[in-house]
Amino acid sequence: MAKKIGVYVCECGNNIADNVDIDRIIKTISPMRNIEVIEKYRLLCSEDGKEFLKQSIKDNELTHLVVAACSPKQHEQTFMNVCLAAGLNPYLFQMANIREQCAWVTPDKEEATDKAIRQITAAIARVAYQEALGKRDIDVSPDVLVIGGGIAGIRAAQVLASSDRKVYLVEKSSSLGGKVKSFDKLFTKMESGSALIDKELRKVEKDENVEVFTDSEVEQILGFFGNFEIKVVKEATGEEREFNVGAVVLATGFDLMDLKALPQYGYDKLQDVYTSIEFEEMNVPGGPTSGKILLKNGKPPGSVAIIHCVGREEKGYCSKVCCMYSLKFARMLQDRLPEAKVSQIYSDLCIPGKAYQKFYDETKGLGVEFIHGEKINITQNGKGITVKYESNSGQGIDLAVDMVILVPAMEPGNDTNRFAEMLGIPVDNEGFLAQEHQLLAPVASSVEGVFVVGCTQGPKNISESIVQSEAAAGKILSTLVPGRKLELEVKTSEISETFCTGCKTCISVCPYSAINFDNSRKIAVVNEALCHGCGVCAAACPSGAARVKNFAFTQIYQEVEALLK
Amino acid sequence: MGGEFTPRIVGFLCNWCSYAGADLAGSTKQKVPSSLSVIKVMCSGRVEPVLIATAYLRGADGVLLAGCHPGDCHYREGNYYARRRFALLEKTMETLGLEPARLMLAWVSASEGQRFGEVTNLFTERIKEMGPSPLKKALL
Amino acid sequence: MENNKNSISVLVIGAGIAGIESSLLLANSGAKVYLVEKASYFGGNIIKCEEVFPNMECATCMIAPKQQELLQSESIELLTLSEVEDVQGSVGDFTVKVKKRARYVNLENCIGCNECFGPCPVEVDNEFEEKLSKRKAIYIPCPGALPNAPVIDTDNCLRFKGENCQLCQENCVFDAIDYTQQDESLELNVQAIVVATGFKTYDLTQAPQYGYGKLNNVYSMVEVERICASNGPTEGQIVLRNGKAPESVAIIHCVGREEKGYCSSVCCMASIKQAHFLKNKIPGLKITQLYSDLCVPGRVYQRFYEEVKESGVDFIRATVSEVKGQGTGVAIKYKTENGEENTLNVDMLILAPAIEPGVDSARLADILGIPQDEHGFFNEKEPDLDSVDTSREGVFIAGCAQSPKDVPDTVAEAEATVGKILSLSR
Repeated sequence: MAKKIGVYVCECGNNIADNVDIDRIIKTISPMRNIEVIEKYRLLCSEDGKEFLKQSIKDNELTHLVVAACSPKQHEQTFMNVCLAAGLNPYLFQMANIREQCAWVTPDKEEATDKAIRQITAAIARVAYQEALGKRDIDVSPDVLVIGGGIAGIRAAQVLASSDRKVYLVEKSSSLGGKVKSFDKLFTKMESGSALIDKELRKVEKDENVEVFTDSEVEQILGFFGNFEIKVVKEATGEEREFNVGAVVLATGFDLMDLKALPQYGYDKLQDVYTSIEFEEMNVPGGPTSGKILLKNGKPPGSVAIIHCVGREEKGYCSKVCCMYSLKFARMLQDRLPEAKVSQIYSDLCIPGKAYQKFYDETKGLGVEFIHGEKINITQNGKGITVKYESNSGQGIDLAVDMVILVPAMEPGNDTNRFAEMLGIPVDNEGFLAQEHQLLAPVASSVEGVFVVGCTQGPKNISESIVQSEAAAGKILSTLVPGRKLELEVKTSEISETFCTGCKTCISVCPYSAINFDNSRKIAVVNEALCHGCGVCAAACPSGAARVKNFAFTQIYQEVEALLK
Repeated sequence: MGGEFTPRIVGFLCNWCSYAGADLAGSTKQKVPSSLSVIKVMCSGRVEPVLIATAYLRGADGVLLAGCHPGDCHYREGNYYARRRFALLEKTMETLGLEPARLMLAWVSASEGQRFGEVTNLFTERIKEMGPSPLKKALL
Repeated sequence: MENNKNSISVLVIGAGIAGIESSLLLANSGAKVYLVEKASYFGGNIIKCEEVFPNMECATCMIAPKQQELLQSESIELLTLSEVEDVQGSVGDFTVKVKKRARYVNLENCIGCNECFGPCPVEVDNEFEEKLSKRKAIYIPCPGALPNAPVIDTDNCLRFKGENCQLCQENCVFDAIDYTQQDESLELNVQAIVVATGFKTYDLTQAPQYGYGKLNNVYSMVEVERICASNGPTEGQIVLRNGKAPESVAIIHCVGREEKGYCSSVCCMASIKQAHFLKNKIPGLKITQLYSDLCVPGRVYQRFYEEVKESGVDFIRATVSEVKGQGTGVAIKYKTENGEENTLNVDMLILAPAIEPGVDSARLADILGIPQDEHGFFNEKEPDLDSVDTSREGVFIAGCAQSPKDVPDTVAEAEATVGKILSLSR
């Protein structure tokens, strides 16, 4: 079919008209091949400008459109909409930037005109090779898999579940509630963790749209955003369940770092050195000491040292919540053992936000001693314990106590690596999963449709974990709408079966893991649901099999050739 | 040596950072040499060495490859590939009979309008001093 | 509440990063969003930064795609120069009165060519640039600010003060300047409200012991952000008021912390970021940071601190007792924890101020019927539990309006408000 290219040059008021000789542009381009019409207009982006353009496209029965005007970043969408309204495929359109990158930066009018002619000619050459593209969409499942039944997982299930969206909540232990269940008190209101969990669970247990699996593990996650295939196995019985979901929320919580690696703290060697979790468990009414704070000899301690930042230096990060819960411990101690002397040894006090300093000031006011000390060494001293530390002046000081509570660094839950591998999410040196964008997409992982929330994502407190699960829910509720198809990126890469040699270079360079290898045909295949159209594969492909729609070599080559004629 | 040599320079600019930086150069009325012609790509990682070689073969005196600063790539790591390809190209250009200085890699962010002006002017001056591409004579 | 998700409308107050994120996510779900912003531009505080921690990413590049999406979105009505005046009703059915101040520039005609600035005879301090440069009475706060259209500052414009000046209008070929524009009163009906009004920084003149406003080369961190900015008053050149580059810099953390009674979460990181930036710009620059407690929480911040420390920046745990002028620079007297007293002489002193709720918080709290805490931050419904809900159902809060926090936590809260809203409306 013959090409009929329409070229429209915008005067942009005086902005372009004053700085380039539009008449010369028209005169030069008019005789070129395939040019059906070339006209100028005062302001193409105005209402009458758009109307004029639409009408002209129709009247001239144009097959392609070039608009020479401002930056495509300003009005590409505007003119694509005009194409649509005129019945022309919006991808058979190209803009030439003769304002920001020509009229406004070239003082000499003749030079500016020459440049404008080059850029417009390039756009014309390119557009003739562009393809009509259509919007594509796929069916998706609105359902969600939530892995981990702690506070974050429970909240995610609550916010997500509805009559048109099922949530599968999978917990590996025999009951929901995670760590918070065994916290007798929570900062800052010093209320019960198990009571909180009970309250949260009530909302979920009654919900018929939430299916809870306990004593179960997720064995397999295949597929991609909108279409994940899940297999859950009940450990004891070997019973399998398979179902499809659109998104996955990983909320597998945290573990404390293994203190055997830090012998100077005396853990596992000395009698009354406890980790924070062990201290929490001690305080629970149904716990090993019936909720009483006791030493191994059955007596209450007369003095307690709480050691912050255990493992901070070795791990290389600050676990954020521990200062606050150490303050909580101090209060619990003062409350239950008013006679006990409580000391806290820390390297930096981390109490960010509007309310935490007040909590600290009040705790200090209770008579708790705060010591800035480093290089801790904990040893047995007869029936008691000596905590050796270095003060600010570099002096070595001994602190004699009955009991030590160690506050160790928090790591992502021990399942994290397994899921990272299953999902193809890179893990950093500290074991944390890669995010889509550290600042702008904190709960989205680098794999689209997989969200990482709570302490799995990084050490944080309960309110932050809840915010993150609600954030993941927000992203899911916004994109996976029941009954609505998922719109895909239009200018994706596609790989020619004929030319693909199966070298897999494209697979290794794709930033989105959007290319799969088809073992039967031995070729690479682009998953258009994941492709962002960056073109890194097209540039890397040794046989030219990979091409990006509307950013193909042939099209860009046309620009190169026209610009250098 | 005849009259003034006006170089032909092709710039491949990535949509997200460098093209926006070039636009900002316009909004802030910087001076950008008219010898620069711009091709917009979605990512600097899209630009394969063959495309750049083609530009030289078609008569470009200089080629500018511009992208987001390392770490800022809209597509995560596309610009790292651009950097690697640039390093490779620099080494192989001599075999094409071209001075490596005829290729420039520049990171320009969306807020660096002034820098875009500086970079393009610097590159154009450099190419002017070097004279026309040796390939031009060969092609003629 | 309406059961049809597609018909929900939401009011988002504040077009900083939190408001923008909420709006985009809501629009994506099919909701209609009214994004109300008091200033003439959107982007809030983050667009004042050149780079953001911890990856030193270009702030404008980072949010440019979001800004573009915002401008092109058909479901988001961006109302700049607008403020909420009244809120009636309850969740599912709020009636909101918004006052939209006149820009005196027609947004449809204006193409952002900036030609109207030149002829304007009035020059005043540019608040966006922390008064480090001037602007005209018709102005855009900084190059690249969006929407790309100026506003007339009627307090300083000669015409609005009674004179017959129309120089800007005469110079506009697009008929974009319209002195007859009036303030508008809009009435919106929405199902939910998100409050994302951000923060301002502690007024450093309230802490005169640091010499801000009195001594020559004492700067606030926000001023330094603009000095570092490539689209700022010095185009990214690090120069003191005397035009020279500094050879030594001190950064004092926690200014205002004691007075305010809370830790502002991000200032240690922001200070470390500035040190990193300055050291890269001026190799050989001697930088010393004086702090009380180092707040570098989470998985990546400590590593950033250690890298900056390793690059030669000194970190001293100290209390500053006095700042005096010393030649063209300052002499900082400080005491370390073990009681040792020292004096540090530097060319440039940067003060890291505490973060406070945005200017209109009290007024908004009243209009919205949501309580504030003693510092003016909006109260969440359940402290330590439900951070984005307020006691008024249907009204949500996100970002620094709730409590000082970094960008990732702000964005998470913005997304959480969307989770709550969409969940409510099912």
